[in-house]
This record gives sequence, structure tokens and C-alpha cells, in this order.
Amino acid sequence: MVFSSLLFLFLFLPAVLLLYWLSPRRLKNLVLFLTSLAFYAWGEPVYIVIMLISTVTDFSFGLMLSNPRFGQTSRRWIVVSSVIVNLGLLSYFKYADFLIVNVNDLLGTSIPLTELALPIGISFYTFQSMSYIIDVYRGTAKAQRNWIDFGAFVALFPQLVAGPIVQYNTLAEQLRNRKVTLEMFAEGVRRFIIGLAKKVLLANNIGLLWHSISGTDAGTLSVLTAWLGIVAFAFQIYFDFSGYSDMAIGLGLMFGFRFNENFNKPYTAQSITDFWRRWHISLGSWFRDYVYIPLGGNRKGFGKQLRNILIVWILTGIWHGASWNFMLWGLYFGVILIFEKWTGLRLLAKAPRWVRHVYASVLILIGWVLFAFDELPRVGGYLKAMFGLNGRPLWDDQSLYYGYTNVILLVLLVTASIAWTRRRSAEGESGSMRGLLNLAWCAVLFFISVSYLVDATFNPFLYFRF
Amino acid sequence: MKQTADRLLAGGFVATLFLLSLTFFLLPAGKFSELENRYLQSAPHFTWDDLISKNFANETESYVTDHFPYRADWIWSKSFMEQLRLQQENNGIYNGKDGYLFEKFAEPDYLAVEHYADAVNNFAQKHPDANMTFMLVPTSIGMYPERLPWKAPFYPESDVNDFVADRTQAGNLTFMDGFDILRPHASESIYYRTDHHWTTRGAYYAYVAYAEKMGWKPLGENDFAITDVSDTFLGSYHTRGQFSGVKPDTIQSFVPKNAVHTEAYVADTDSKLDGLYDDSFLQKKDQYSYFLGGVHALMTLKSDLAHADLDKLLIVKDSYAHSFIPFLTQHVKEIHVIDVRYYNGSIGDYMKENGIKEALLLFNTATFVGNGEITKLSN
Repeated sequence: MVFSSLLFLFLFLPAVLLLYWLSPRRLKNLVLFLTSLAFYAWGEPVYIVIMLISTVTDFSFGLMLSNPRFGQTSRRWIVVSSVIVNLGLLSYFKYADFLIVNVNDLLGTSIPLTELALPIGISFYTFQSMSYIIDVYRGTAKAQRNWIDFGAFVALFPQLVAGPIVQYNTLAEQLRNRKVTLEMFAEGVRRFIIGLAKKVLLANNIGLLWHSISGTDAGTLSVLTAWLGIVAFAFQIYFDFSGYSDMAIGLGLMFGFRFNENFNKPYTAQSITDFWRRWHISLGSWFRDYVYIPLGGNRKGFGKQLRNILIVWILTGIWHGASWNFMLWGLYFGVILIFEKWTGLRLLAKAPRWVRHVYASVLILIGWVLFAFDELPRVGGYLKAMFGLNGRPLWDDQSLYYGYTNVILLVLLVTASIAWTRRRSAEGESGSMRGLLNLAWCAVLFFISVSYLVDATFNPFLYFRF
Repeated sequence: MKQTADRLLAGGFVATLFLLSLTFFLLPAGKFSELENRYLQSAPHFTWDDLISKNFANETESYVTDHFPYRADWIWSKSFMEQLRLQQENNGIYNGKDGYLFEKFAEPDYLAVEHYADAVNNFAQKHPDANMTFMLVPTSIGMYPERLPWKAPFYPESDVNDFVADRTQAGNLTFMDGFDILRPHASESIYYRTDHHWTTRGAYYAYVAYAEKMGWKPLGENDFAITDVSDTFLGSYHTRGQFSGVKPDTIQSFVPKNAVHTEAYVADTDSKLDGLYDDSFLQKKDQYSYFLGGVHALMTLKSDLAHADLDKLLIVKDSYAHSFIPFLTQHVKEIHVIDVRYYNGSIGDYMKENGIKEALLLFNTATFVGNGEITKLSN
């Protein structure tokens, strides 16, 4: 089930809210755990077993870590086992076929593919449960002794399938002790509606433009169309993902949880270093806390730091998907970040603000080309089109049509990327007009979003072909 | 004040969720959607197998969306928003000039087109004793690209027709390009503005061209009583695009003044039609089914002609033929009509069994390139 569906909005969510409100305090986590399992099983009736395996293993490992009978060596082994179980599951489902294809290509073998579908959310919940074990091992978190609370932490439906990746630390206290105030609930509704609108109105619609352009042979695209296309993709992926994060954060608030922010106006970045502090923050923090710093971070000399940056960025790349273009995408950013650390940021500091924006935006967009096509020749073809190397003109009728039919949407997208991410928290809201305007705005966004959701299922049967 | 706003927002949101959910359960579930012209998903039945295979989840989701309260109004409102933001297309339909709606036509996969054209050509070569005509008619976007929204991209259907013409050169096969037939009449109403079919007038010009090619004397316009049978036709393009302010089309019938009696037999249901037209469809969504009562896999039309130009004709076709076939009943005693999508037997065998030596293949360009069913000719 996805949040942006009628089934979730008008059946699942009201049912969960009702159950949650009606149940006594001590059963609330159980309600969340069970409804989250139902939420997951709806989309993955079989693979739910894998999530449960990962949950039970890490719960038991956590208990063992907190048992004083185990010495340092055993504790180390426990953490290693947990990492092996989680990464093992993740690799088997996500990377096995990629490895097999490449081994077959390289050695001329013909190992059969597993052809398994990727279980929904596996990249998120494995990371989340690993963070728990590592935190307990490090002593920054206490082991959870209540399996219901732990289950609720891993399976919590608001962030289960697409993050933000919640580190156990942030949630430990809230699992025991939380209260939903009116203010929090209303803030949650606001965030949810904004997230829904981002996904349904902005991401999906600009996605249609990218769909048209990426479906056209890149050899025939004019320069302007190619740039329009990749800009469309950049907006689509941002509003899709950050919309989903907003919905997750909003739903969390409705049940009394405060998750960390996942995006902070990434397209206002003035360097790539800046961009990655603003984009998918929960993943960046995860790699920083559990990979980069343990590897020594920047404390062991520039050489080691280079190595660490490259490792982190190759991992970040393949976390996004099992194919070479993602690895290349990660590496691409790794190299740029190294350049910025070495000298780039100092140079940029001297440049005017708009130069910094252009610099960052162009590099980000080129990055999206690497990200968008999983076949490398297509990446090359598209880049050629963007830089006019395919012999096509600067613009043509196609770019004009795509341009004027999307101009209003593009203006909205730009505005929303600059202004419309993090809501001011409660203290900033004052004045009656403002509150009411805000209310009206949410109502309008919600109803328009629902009409797009209904339309998405509009499926007229026509004697169209015959 | 902040608290009032919060209360309204939280309360309003929750109330909306519960109210719509309640309405969903209370409103009677319809079975058929006129707007979408299809049966709606029926209430899902739970079985463990369906749960494991996600069938249950999928059916439930379709059920909820199909029966969502005030569905048509939500859809209308989305289309309205799209027009507000200057979008010139909705669900693959362009909102063109002069009230015309068009279906997008993109460059087809020429490997597939080659395959389909070869199927036609091979079919002719396999039946050297029969005469065949292949008429490929453009759809409205092919005829009127200048009526598309400003700068809208399109692929010329004439390129496809030329390509197909080049590959269908068997000795006993004549290719008739719909562009040659219809272009001289482009300024007339030869296509519906809101539907993907040609009008009866468009079909009439095609009939004239076909009759001349066959060496028959076509009936002139004066030989027909031309009447408007409907002026409320909102066709498939309108259904898909849902643009507001669209003017409905008029459906005309061309009834010969010297009418002949035709017996229409539908093999699918082993039943006879009352005539060549079914008035009951003029009250429904799908008004084009007025012609021949819609799609049938196999039908035969036997006409009482004193002097027939031809005894037997096989027509392999899409729905463009429906408004075209009535004209031929003035010339041919026995017309056998096969819709390749629904007919699964061997068409070659059918010709042999019925002693048919003359065939017409009639398709529009969009159907022809978008559909592999034509390869059934090779069965």
C-alpha cells in the first residue's frame, strides 16, 4: 500500500486512527505494530517473513548485547552476526542477480538468475535495525526488552517503505513516552497534505514530461528539450521522495512521533557538499555514523579520508540500486566532494552566489542523468543531447510545446523547491489570518490531490482499437 | 487563534476521511459505468490463495477506486485543473482547434509494422486465386495535424501508410491509401471531432473510391436519404480526455432511396439483427455501435439484389468498417465480415470453405500499427 492511494487514505488510515484512539495507552504500541504488519503484508504477503526474521534476530541480538555475561569478544561477534544477517538478506534480494550477471559476463559461465523481486522497504528496514544493534553495542542506546516496542520501531508503517531511516536513538524514548497534542496532530495533518500534494500534483505531473522525453530517442532531442527533460526528472525525484518523507513525518506526528527531517531545500544548494547535507539527510547521516566515522573519517590523514569518502560514496551509489550506473553515480559525487574538500569550496567562496548555484545545479543535473538510465550507452546519448553533440538545434517545436504546456507547473515547482519544504514550527505561526489562510490552502491542496488520485484510476473501456 | 485553526484542520481532515469512507460504504455499489463504458470491479472475495498472490489486494484496490464516491466529479475536476495550467492534453488526448480532439500518435515500432504488413502481403501471396484490396485509412490526427494545439508533436501517419504501401506489393493485392481518398474532402466533416472513427460521410467517400476500383457504379449522394440520427454523440476521445466545453458530434445515416433487404446474421451469438443499424445504441454512451450493432467476430450480410456486382466478399476489418459496410450491400450479395481481434479460426480456411474469391482488408492506421492481431492472417 502506498500513502498516495485512495485505499490508504479513506480506509486504512481512518481505521488505524480509530483503533489507536480507542485502545488504552499500554496497547497503543501493539496496535501500531499489528497495523504496520497489516500495512506491509498488504503489499508483501510473503516477504513479510523476511522482515520478521530481521526483526526477531536483531531483537534477540540486542538482548544478548545487554547481557553482562557476554564479554567484549562475544559482543563483537554479535554485532558482526547482525550485520551479516541484515546485509545478507539485503544482498541476496538486491544484489545477487547483479553479481550473477557480471560474473557470467566476465567468466562466460551461465549461473541461473534468482529473478527475485525486491521486497518493499528492505533497504530501509535492514539499515534501521542495524543501527539499533550498533547503537546498543556502542552503548549509546539501551537494549529494548519489550518485543512489541521493538517490533513497532522496525515496522512502524509511516516510515517503513521509504524512510526516513530512523535511527534507534531518536525513537527510543518516544516509544515509551509520547503524547499527541492537538498542535502536533494538526502539524501532522499539514505535513501529510503537503507531502501528498508534492507527490500527486507536482511529482506525478512533471513525471509525465520526463516520461515523454526519456521515451524519445535521445539522438533526436534538441538541447532545450534534453535540459527540460532532466530538470523534469530532478523535480520528479525530489518531490516524489520528499513528498513521501513529508507524509511519513506527518503520519508520525499524528501518532506522537517526531522523526528527523529528510530534506532541506536541496536545490538551493551552493555546492555539492551543501547539496548532500540537504538531500536524503537520514541516509547521509547513517553512512556518516556507521561507515565514515568508524573508518576513521577525516582524522587519519588526507589519504585515509580520500579512501573513506570513496567507500562511502560507492556504497551510497549501490544502495540506490544494483546496477553500474548507480555505482558510477555514487563515485561521481565522491570525486566531486573530494575536489570540493581539496580546493573547490575555497574557490567557490570567492565566486558570486549565482555562479555557485549554477555550478551546483549543473553538476546535480548531470548526476541525475547517470541516475536515470540504467544502461550506460543511454547515459552517453542523453548527455550528448544536453550539450548539443547530437547535431540537433538548440530548440525546436517539441521544446516549445513541452515548455508552454508545463510552464505553470515549472513555476510552481521552482517556487516549491525554494519555499515550501520545512514548515515553520509552531512558534512562527501567529495571527488569525495566517492560520485561516493556511487552513484553506491545506483544504484546497487535499481536494485537488484526491481528484488527481481518482483520475489516476480512470480507466475507460473504449472500442478503441477495434 | 492558532488553536482554532489547528482544531479546524485536525477536525476537518479526520471528518473528511471518515465521511468519505462512510459514504463509500453506504452508497449502493453500481455495476456498470456509463462514463467509462465498462463493468466495475465487483466486491472481492477473500481466499488465502488470493491473499498470497496479491489478487485480493489488487481487487480490493480496484473496488475502492471504482466505487469511490462522486468519482465522475473528481475526474472532471482534475481535467479542469489540467486545462487551467495550460496543459493541452489529458490521458493521451490532445485538445485541438475547431473543437477537434485527437489521439496522440507517436512514431511506431517499424519492425512490428513491417511484420504486420508482411502478414498482409503473405496472406495475398498464399491465395493467388483471390483478389485482395487493402485499404489503410488515417485517423483524424493524420489528416489534420494543423488542428493540433500549437507546436504539439506528432508523427505523420502518411509515413506509415507509405511504408506499408511499399511492403504490400503482391500481384493480386491492391493497396488503397486512405490519404488519397479523403484528402480532397478534408474540409468536410469526414471525422468525428470527439471520437476516433470517421463519419458516415468519410466512409461514403471511401465507398465511392472502392466501388470505382472494383469497376462498380457507386451511388451518388442524391441516391441517399441523409438524416441526422443523433446530435449528442460524445465519443471515445471525449471520454478519455474529459475536456470541458466540448461540442457533441452529429451521427448521420445514409439510407439508399432504393433500399434493398439485407439479412444480417451474427455467428458469435447465432442471432439475426433487425437491420444494419441498431437505434438502441443512440441512447447509450457508445453511440458508434449504432452501425451494425457494434463489434462481432463474424457476421454475414445477405442482400436481395436483382443484379449484383459481386457474389461474395470477405471483409477483414476494424470498427472503421462498421459505417462503411452498409454501402456495399448495394453491390454484393453476400458479405462476410471478420474482426481479427475476436475471430480465432483460420481466415484462409474460411475463404476456401465459403468459396470466396474477393477480399477487402480495411483498417485505420492507428489500429494497424498498434495491434498484433493482424498477424492472425498467417494462421
